Amino acid sequence: MQPIKNPLARVIIYIVLTLFVVWSLLPLAWTFLQSFKTVLDAHSIPPVLFFTPTWFNYTHLWLEKIPDTFPPQLLILSAILVVAILIAIFVRRLPFSRAWLYWVCAGLVALTLWTIPQVMTTAEFYDYFLNTLVITAGTVLISISIGCLAGYGLARFAGLDGVIVLVTALAFRALPRMAFVLPYYWLGTLTGLRDTYVLVIICLVAVNQPFTIWMLRSFFMEIPREIEEAAMIDGAGRLQSFLRVIIPITWPGIISTALFTVLLAYNEFLLVLVLTQSKWTLPVAMAQFTGGEDPGYITMASAAAVSATIPIVILIIFFQKQLVKGLAAGAVKG
Amino acid sequence: MKRKTFYQFTSPSIILMIALMIFPLLMAIWLGFNYVTYRNINAPVFTGLDNYADVLGDPKFWEAFRFTLLVIALVVPTQMILGFVMALLLDQIAMQLRGIYLAAMLLPFIVVPVVGTMMFKQLWEPSGLMAWIFQTTTGESFFYSELSVKTLIILQTIWSSTPFSLVVFFAGLQTLPAELLDAAAIDGASRWQQIRHIALAHLRPLIVFVGLISIMDVYRLFDNAFVFTQLNPIYHANTLMLYTYQVAMRVQRLDKASAMAILTVIGIMIALIPFLINTYRSQVEER
Repeated sequence: MQPIKNPLARVIIYIVLTLFVVWSLLPLAWTFLQSFKTVLDAHSIPPVLFFTPTWFNYTHLWLEKIPDTFPPQLLILSAILVVAILIAIFVRRLPFSRAWLYWVCAGLVALTLWTIPQVMTTAEFYDYFLNTLVITAGTVLISISIGCLAGYGLARFAGLDGVIVLVTALAFRALPRMAFVLPYYWLGTLTGLRDTYVLVIICLVAVNQPFTIWMLRSFFMEIPREIEEAAMIDGAGRLQSFLRVIIPITWPGIISTALFTVLLAYNEFLLVLVLTQSKWTLPVAMAQFTGGEDPGYITMASAAAVSATIPIVILIIFFQKQLVKGLAAGAVKG
Repeated sequence: MKRKTFYQFTSPSIILMIALMIFPLLMAIWLGFNYVTYRNINAPVFTGLDNYADVLGDPKFWEAFRFTLLVIALVVPTQMILGFVMALLLDQIAMQLRGIYLAAMLLPFIVVPVVGTMMFKQLWEPSGLMAWIFQTTTGESFFYSELSVKTLIILQTIWSSTPFSLVVFFAGLQTLPAELLDAAAIDGASRWQQIRHIALAHLRPLIVFVGLISIMDVYRLFDNAFVFTQLNPIYHANTLMLYTYQVAMRVQRLDKASAMAILTVIGIMIALIPFLINTYRSQVEER
C-alpha cells in the first residue's frame, strides 16, 4: 500500500508498533531480569528494576556442585566445542568443503557434551538438555530424510493416489495430538518401549510427517522437471539424479523445513509428557518447575526459561530469513 | 514419474503414517469401546458405548468443552484483527526497521510454548511486575482465581498466536497488485476503502487459512492451560485436551479418555471437512 504522508499519523504508527513490541517482549524481558536476581530481590514488592546481577541461579541450575577451582579439562572441552561449531558454520567457505565435515563436527559436539559431566558435577537440568538435543536431532534427521523422498515423489507423481496421500496427511495434521498419544502410551506400556528415546523420536517423526512432506513437496515443485530429465538422459538413475542434482538445488528449502522440524521437536510437550518418565525434555521438566512452594523457584524457573530460550534465539538469528519465508510460503501455498 | 517409482519414494513415509497415525486412531476408537485402566492394561473388556455415555454425562467434560469454545470465540477474532492491523502498520514503516520490529514481534511465537507461558506467568506472580501494576492502579491485590486464571490463559494465547497471523498477513500485503492500488488512489478511494475493497478482498484466502489454523490450534490448547492451572481443579479452567489428559493419566481411565479424544476428533472434523474437500479439488486440478 502507498505510504502515509501525514507526519502525525506516522508518529502514531511508530508508537502503536512499539507498544505492540513491548507487549510481545515484556514477559521475556521480565523473566530475563528475574533470572539474574537473588531470591530476596526477586520477591521484593514493589519489584526492583535495578539490582546487583548474580550468576547464582544459572550455576545452580546447571551444576550440582560448584567446583572451587576451574577444571582445566573444561577449558579444552569448550575450546573443542567452539572450534567444531565455527568449522560447521564456515565449512562452505573452506577451500576443501566436504559434507562429511558436518558429521565430524556434529560428532565432536556430541562427544564434548557427553564428556562434560565427567569433568564437572552437572545438575539434572543438563541431562534434560541432552535429552532434548538427542530427541530433536533424531527427529530432524529421520523426518527430513524420509520426508524428502516422499515430498519429491509427491511433487513429481500425477496420479490420484498422490492427492489422496496428501489430503489424508493434511487431515491428520489437523487432528488433536491426544487421539494418537493415548494409543502410543498404551502401546508403549505394553511393549515396554515407554520412556525410551526410540519411541519418542519415532512418534514425533510420525506426528510431524504430514507437515514435513507438504512443505518439502512445495519446494520440490519449484524445481523444473527438465533438470532431472537432463540428468537422467545423461545416464543417471531416478534416485541418483535426485540425490546428486535435486537435493543440492533444493537445499535452502530443506534447511527451512528442518528449522521448523527443530522447533516442533524442541517445543513438543504433550507427547513427551505422556511417553516419558525420566527422559524428560526441557519443556516437560520446566512445567514441573512452576508449581513449587520453594521460594527459590521463581529465580530458578526464570534461569531455566532463559536457558531453554537461548538456543532457539541463536537458531533464529542465523535463520530468520528461512523462518519468515517458510511461514509465508506455507500459508500462501496452503 | 511411474506409479512404481512413486511408491518406492514415498513408502517409508506412508508406512510410518499408517503405522503411527491411522493405526493408532483406529486403536483409539477400539479402546473407546472397551474397559481399560492401568490395572487391566493387557486385558481390555469390551463394554460397547458405555464410555461414550460416561463422557457425555460428565459435567466436567461439558465444562471443558464450554471453556474451549469460549477461548476460541475470544482468541481467534482478536488475534486475527490484531495481527492484520499490525501487519498494515508494519507495511507503512521504513524498510530497514521492518526486520527488527518483525523479529521482536515473532519472539512470542517462537519461544517454547511452555516457556512462554512460564514467562507470562512470571509477570503475575505476587512479586511480578504486572501484579504490582495491577495493585497500584486498582488498589486491589492480584491473586489467582477462576476468573484471573481464565483471563490469563486467554491473554497468553493471544500473545503467542498473534505473530503467526501477523507474518502471514504481512507477507500477503507485499503481494497486493500495485497498479490496482494506484488506480484506486487516483479514482479517489479513501485509505479505508482501499483496505476494505482491495486488501481484504485480495487476502481472503489467507484470512480463511489463518482462521482455520487458528481455530484448530486453540481447539487443542494444552500447554499453557497445563502450566497456568497446574491441573488444579479449583480454577475450572480445563480445556478439552487438558481434561482428556487428566482422565487418562491421573484417573487412569484410558478408555474414557480415548472416547473423549474420538469425540473431539469428530468435533474438529466438522470444521475441517469443507477445507479438505476444497484442498482435494484444487490439488486434482493442479496436477
